[in-house]
Order: sequence, then C-alpha cells, then structure tokens
Amino acid sequence: MDVIKIIRKVDFGLLVTVFLLLCFGVLMVYSATLSEAKEGASYLTRQLIWILLGVVVLVVAALFDYNWLKHYSFVFYLLSVILLLVVVFVGRWVLGAQRWIPIGPFQFQPSEFSKIFLILFLASYLSDKEGGLKNKDFIYIFTLMALPILLVFAQPDLGTSLVLIAILFGMIFAAGATPKQILTVFLIGLTLCFFVFHFKLLEEYQIRRFLAFLYPDLDPLGAGYSLTQAKIAVGSGGFLGKGLFRGTQTNLQFIPFHHTDFIFAVVGEELGFLGALILIGLFFALIMRGVRIATLSKNMFGSLIVVGIVFMWLFQIFVNIGMNIGLMPITGIPLPFISYGGSSMIVHLIAVGLLLSVYARRFI
Amino acid sequence: MTRPIEKIQLRAAIFGLITFVAFMIILSRLWFLQVLAYGKYIELANNNRIRVISTSAPRGLIYDRNRNVLVRNRPSISVTITPLSLRGKENEVLPKLAKVLGEEVKVIKENLKKKGTDPLRPVVIKRDVSKEIVAYLKEHQADFPGVDIEIEAVRDYPYTNLAAHILGYIGEISDKELSSEEFSDYSLGEIVGKTGIESEYNYLLRGAKGEKKIEVNAVGHPLRVLEDKEAIPGYNLKLTINVKTQIIAEEALWEAIETARRQGYKNAAAGCAVVLDVNNGEIYALASYPTYDPGTFVRGISTSEWKKLNEKSSNFPLINRVVNASYAPGSTFKPFTAIAGLSEKKVSSTFKFFCTGKWTEMGEKWPKRCWERSGHGQVNIVEGISHSCDVVFYEIGYKFYKDKSEKLQEWAHYFGFGSPTGIDLPSEKEGRVPDKAWKKSFFRRDSKSQIWLPGDNVNLAIGQGDLLVTPLQLAVAYSAIANGNSIPTPHLVKSVSSYNEQVERKLNTPKKSINISSSVLKLVREGLRKVVTEGTARNAFSGFSLAVSGKTGTAEVKGKDDFAWFACYAPSDSPRYVVVVMIEQGGHGGSCPAIAARKILTQMFGISDRVPEIVTDVSR
Repeated sequence: MDVIKIIRKVDFGLLVTVFLLLCFGVLMVYSATLSEAKEGASYLTRQLIWILLGVVVLVVAALFDYNWLKHYSFVFYLLSVILLLVVVFVGRWVLGAQRWIPIGPFQFQPSEFSKIFLILFLASYLSDKEGGLKNKDFIYIFTLMALPILLVFAQPDLGTSLVLIAILFGMIFAAGATPKQILTVFLIGLTLCFFVFHFKLLEEYQIRRFLAFLYPDLDPLGAGYSLTQAKIAVGSGGFLGKGLFRGTQTNLQFIPFHHTDFIFAVVGEELGFLGALILIGLFFALIMRGVRIATLSKNMFGSLIVVGIVFMWLFQIFVNIGMNIGLMPITGIPLPFISYGGSSMIVHLIAVGLLLSVYARRFI
Repeated sequence: MTRPIEKIQLRAAIFGLITFVAFMIILSRLWFLQVLAYGKYIELANNNRIRVISTSAPRGLIYDRNRNVLVRNRPSISVTITPLSLRGKENEVLPKLAKVLGEEVKVIKENLKKKGTDPLRPVVIKRDVSKEIVAYLKEHQADFPGVDIEIEAVRDYPYTNLAAHILGYIGEISDKELSSEEFSDYSLGEIVGKTGIESEYNYLLRGAKGEKKIEVNAVGHPLRVLEDKEAIPGYNLKLTINVKTQIIAEEALWEAIETARRQGYKNAAAGCAVVLDVNNGEIYALASYPTYDPGTFVRGISTSEWKKLNEKSSNFPLINRVVNASYAPGSTFKPFTAIAGLSEKKVSSTFKFFCTGKWTEMGEKWPKRCWERSGHGQVNIVEGISHSCDVVFYEIGYKFYKDKSEKLQEWAHYFGFGSPTGIDLPSEKEGRVPDKAWKKSFFRRDSKSQIWLPGDNVNLAIGQGDLLVTPLQLAVAYSAIANGNSIPTPHLVKSVSSYNEQVERKLNTPKKSINISSSVLKLVREGLRKVVTEGTARNAFSGFSLAVSGKTGTAEVKGKDDFAWFACYAPSDSPRYVVVVMIEQGGHGGSCPAIAARKILTQMFGISDRVPEIVTDVSR
C-alpha cells in the first residue's frame, strides 16, 4: 500500500468540511459561555476534550470495515433498547427529563448513541430487501422501531424521537419504498399523533412550547420566551453581525441554553447573515459530500448507513436552525458539530468515521 | 452482490434537492430576519438589555395646623417573589413561604398570577413583615428561590387611630380603579389613598415615580445601573385640624356615648362631632365613632379583618358619620324654620303662640303633640326656640303649607341643606330636603302616596319627617347664622407644600354670600342664646364662663331610640367656632351631646371648667 493509495481512500473534502465545522463550533461555544466567568473556560476545554475523544473514535470507525457490522445488526438494536431502558432506571433527572446516564464524572446520553445503532440495524435489515419493500417488511420495521422511539419519547425527549422517525423515513425511502407506501405510513403516523394529543401523552411543557411556536405573542415571557429571545438575537445581528463575543442577547443571557440548543442564535447575532451563510454553506457541503458517498458505496448496506446519517444531520440541522429563527417549534435538538455536549459530539464524529469507512471501501 | 447504483443515484438526487430546498428556506428566513426586519430586532435587542424599573415615590406627609405630623412614612420590609426565578418550583416553595408568612397558599398564588405578568419584576407578597421573618428567610435562602425582600416606604401614624376618618386609609389599587381614567398611569400592586384625605388628595400626595435604567441579564440579575432618575416625594399637606382639639373631640364624643349608655340608652354606640371656624370653614376637629386604625391597612388587610370593619354589629367604623351619613336633624333644624317664617312674614317677633301640649290645626283626626305634654302656654318665637316648643313650629310649617308655596324648602336650600357642602373629602352625602317633586319621584309606583300632605310640611318644620342632613351640613348652616353673611365651604387642607417645603400654596375656598335681615337674625340668635341660659341646654352649660348659643335636638327615628343632637357656636356676641355633636340613639340633645360640646369649647378657648357630671334633658 503506497501513499497515493491511502490518500485516494480518504475523503479530504469531508474531512476539511468537518474540521471547519468543529472550529466554528468551538469558537461559538467559547463566545456563548464567555459571560459565565468561572465556567467559560471549562466549557471550552470540555468541548475540546469531547472533540479529541470523538476524533479517536472517528479514526477507529474509519479504519474499521463497516461490512463486518452487518452481522451484528440485531445486536445493535438490542443494545440501543437496553441502553434506553437503563436510562429509565438509573438516568439522572436533568431539566425535567431522564436523558443521561452518569459514568464517573461524565454524563452519557444514550439516546444520542441509539441513533447510530438504529441506523446500523435499519441499514442491515433494509439492504437485504433488494426487490422493494413488502407490507410485512413495513410491519416488522415499524413494530421494532416503535419500542426505542417510544422509550426516547418517554424520557421525555421529543426531539430525538422525531430524529429517529426522520431517519426511519429517509432510510425506507432510500431502500426502495414507493411514494405510495411512504404516504400510507405517514398517514398512519398522523393518526397516532392525533391520539397522542387526544390522550395527553405529551408533557405539558411540550404542548406549551408547541403552542408558543404557533402563537409566540400569546405568552412572550412564558413559553414563547426562548423563541422570542432567539429571534431577537438573530434579527439584531443584521448582515454582518455584532461581532464575535459582542452579542448582547448572548452575553446578557437573554437566550437560555445559548451554548447548546440555541447556539445558532449566537451565530446569527454575533456573525450576522454572512456568518450564518458560511455555517449553512459548510453544512450543505457536508450533506452533499454524504450524498455523494451514498452513491459511491459499493453495496446497499454502506449506502443505507450513509443515507441514515445524512438524514439525521439534515433533519437536526433544519429543525435546530428552524427553531432558532422561528420556523420550527422548540424541541431541544442540538446542532451537529456546533452545540456544546459530549454525547452529541462523539456520535456525530462516529458518523463521520462511518462515512469515511464507506468511502474508503468504495472499490473493494 | 449487485450494486443498485441506478436506484440510489435517482434517490440521491432527490435527497440533494430536499437539502437544497430546506437550506433555501432557512436562508430566506434569515434574510428576512437579519436584513429586512433588522431595524425592528435591533431595537428590541436594545430595549431588552435595559430594563426600566420604576421606583415608588414616598407619599407626602400630612400635618395638623400647628405642624404636628399626623401621617409620615417609615421604611418597612416587604417580601417579594420574582416569578422567573420561582418558575417550576411553585409547589415546593410556596407552601413553605405561606407557613413562614402566616398566609394562605391560595392567596399568594392568586397574587402572583395577577401581578406576576412580568417574570422579571418582583411581586410584593406581604408588606411590613417582622425582622424575625426576614432573618429566617435570609438564613434559608436556598429553600426559597425567587423570594426576596424589598425596602418600601409605608404609612406611619404617630397618633395611631386619631383622626382616622379625616386621614383615610391606603391600599393596593383595585382593578376597578386601575381601569379608570384617574389612575391611568398606575400599575398593579401600587398604593393609593382609598378614603379621606389620602384619597381626595391622592394626586398631590403620590409624588412622581422614579426611573432606574438597569442593564440586566435574562435571569433579571442587575449588572449595572445606567441611569437613575430619583423619585420625587409627594406634596405635604397642612390640615386645618388642631391635634389638641381633635383629641378632645374624640374623647368627649366617646365619653358622651358611654354616658348615654349608662343613662339607659343601651343602643347608643355611634356618633360624631365636628368643629368648624364659622368665618372661613376651616375644620378644627372631626370625630366619628366607632373608629378604626388606618395602620392595619399598611400590611394589607385580611379578608376577615375587612369583613369585621364592614359589619352591622361593629357599627360600620369605616363610615365618617360627619360627612358620609345623613340623619333627621330634629329640633336643631328649628332655627331655620324660624328664619324662614320671620323672613317670609309668616310670623312676627311679637306674635304669641299658645301651646296646650296638643295641636289640632290639621283637624281633630290628626292631632300633633308638643314634647312638653302639659304645654308651654303663651310663647313667642324666641321662647319657641329656647324651649324648643313644637307647636310654634307646627304653626309656621302649616302656614307655609296653606300658602301652597315651597318657601320653607327654599330657605333650607339657602342654608345649604340638600346639597353637598363641598368639603375636601370623598363621597359626601347630600342629604334631602323633601318637597312635592321629591315625593312624587320617590313614590313613583304608588300614586296615592305621592300627594304632598300638610303633615309633611309640619314635620319638616320641626326637622322630622323626610328631612335628612349630614352633621357637617348642620354645622355649616349654623356657621351662617353665626357669621350672618355667608355659607363657608368646610375644608380640611390649609396649605400644600412641596416635599422640601420650598413652595407653599394656600388653597382658597369659596364662600357663598347670603342675605338675611338683621332683625330676623337678632331674634333667632337671642333664642339660641336663651337655649343655653334658660332653655333646653341650661343644665349642660350651667356655670360655664363662655357665652354659648346653641340648639338641642332629639330626633325620632322609626324603630330606634332617639338620636341626640347639639349644635352651637361661641362666643355668642362675636362667634368664632361652631360645634355640632350627634349621638345615634343617644336620647336627648341637652344631655350628653351638649356636655361633649362644652368640653370641646373648653379646649378651644383655653378656659378652665368643671363639667357637670350628669345632666338630664327631657326636651326634644
């Protein structure tokens, strides 16, 4: 194996995009947490530690032959369900939700990891359905997926369960489901949603947030508070922004969760439309790179893994930015590579590693 | 393994398209927010950073005429809750807080719900809490997130409940007040005057709110003060009241009620007294019993306390009986009937009435009696006043009736009866001078009762029937007899000055000139003088060194014991003050009320006096 061969195996476009996104994110986390005098530095160093850890996992995932994972698809499914069940028993209550499992000094968020495990499981199952999906396949898939989705939903983590649903739809579409089949499933889903609302399965705060999204002026200082403040932050950034570290909305802590869910508002405020455009451009490059790898993959399993990951990113990016600018209800989904948070960072870097693995093995 | 490359490429193109569309939606929304609507959001962001906190101005002070402080301010500690910091912990914190404060959780919750619309603005939960509570809350701060204390200026009453009905009480602005034009610049939870001077002069006492511009973070934590416009305290008011007179008046009134009760009038439990300058209408003292402590309103009054203050069994202590209640004046009205009769030539100075104790002019079927059952015999108008002979006034009243004129009513109105005196206190009663038009409208559903009967006029002439006057109206009308030329406007505020006492402004009070023939006045004054020297009040004023002219009254009220009145002015030859005392169900005017008036005059004129212990009067 000579140097040229190795270089041809690495998708440098993807690597550079991810690197730039990480730099962008670190800067924004630093800026967003600047006003928390004592903790500011620790947010930054912690984030850097996560990235370092993530890069190690990324390299491992990239070197690893993803095809080998296919044999363990059901193990991944069980693993994610078990992890989610563990949360219910030992999870630590944070902000009214059990999403974390404490491991030593760190907290580990299984629902983030379950996304990857379920992508692998779905990719493995769907890649065998070469001749198109039959009704019994749908029933099988949806029955199996309902369990982890409901477990995540019950934490309650509406955002991640929506991400799982998005991944599911993206992957069955890629696997050859016809538009008619998708539509049928979608309608069934809507009916279920109706029951969820009707029997009040949503937490009160979730309904409030949803209503606040629809009518933010109804309660500008209650549930609509985050939404209104985020919009003010982004809008007041203007074309060029107020300058890095100079966001008043951010520094005066008008935006809650400004280093996690609402980090895009910090970008919009401090770097303006231009900065947001650069970030969105990087995301676009990331997704397009992923789509390209999906088409280059030598087998359906690889393609479907990539499609699942790309769909996860696309959905998270759209919903997260959307809720920062008043397009989407507030659901608590982090922005990949940018938001502060260890589990999320590591999972997305594993995803990049998987993409690289698929890319590297496109000829073999 | 076959590669489904064609299929995946088509779908990849669709993914690309979806991504492109999604990102374009985001970008166009961003363009709208950041470029098109930039102006709006930058303004919102700037306002966001700076919070304007209004600081309440201390209310103005209230002095008596000799600059004794009647109402001042003292710092007090209020417990507040910042809604944002409490959010999500209500059920944990509020029951604990309620226990510490001795309040009901429900009440606190309602308070928060009503006033906590701004999550960053602290809501006052309880005013004027003790140091122990403050110490406890500070020690256990971690258990009470969002709970804080605030220093506020609250009302303080150095003389406790003295002059409560004059001063009035304060309280948080009500929803009704808030929606009115007058209070348009107020917000929930602010303090306003509710009654008395506090209410009437609220616009002067309130001062101007200050404004503090503070840079804060989203948790409401102040970072720095950008601008501090200090509140301007309200204007100080100097009242016409003399604290010494007020104290004596309240004491004398209370003693009079107690004495009446000891003399067998067991239902005597309420009354009032007022002292007026006959020339300019300045009120030196105004007492109403039962009374209340305006200090209890400072902390915010509880429902049960409030209920107690508005119950029949407590005799409605919040009512200022001098101004906010009207009564039948009884014989104290007779001088005005006399003036009307003399002026309208219904009776002359030399005319002799004959009182047998029974009067049957209106027919044998409707006999009227004089309170003196054995009769006064031959009496002229002066003796009629001094001995309060009913027959004399029946005659005059009946003469007016036979005239078909309403001259008697006109004269009553001339002295100010039937319309407010214009005193600077809220919700003054206007009383009632009954006439044909009134009777017709009063009994509009019952045509038989609408007819104006001779009895109506005859009753009016002795101050009974449907006549109602406020004790203040009576005092003002007696001032007119005393000064002979004008109806003064009674008032309580002498002058207004700014908080630093730099600008002082006297309030001018109009007088209404009246024209009464001097010969008529002379006769009536003679009669009033004789009431005290040889008539119905002679016992009460025996041995008194000051020349007093006055009139007793014993008003009949259906279903109740007689209401006792005494109205007088002194000194008789050059009158300076009018004193009116009334005791509900207190019996005869010549006993307890006259004694009370004597005690008040003793203080006013600084004379030493031995007031007779017990005086019995049987007149009406």
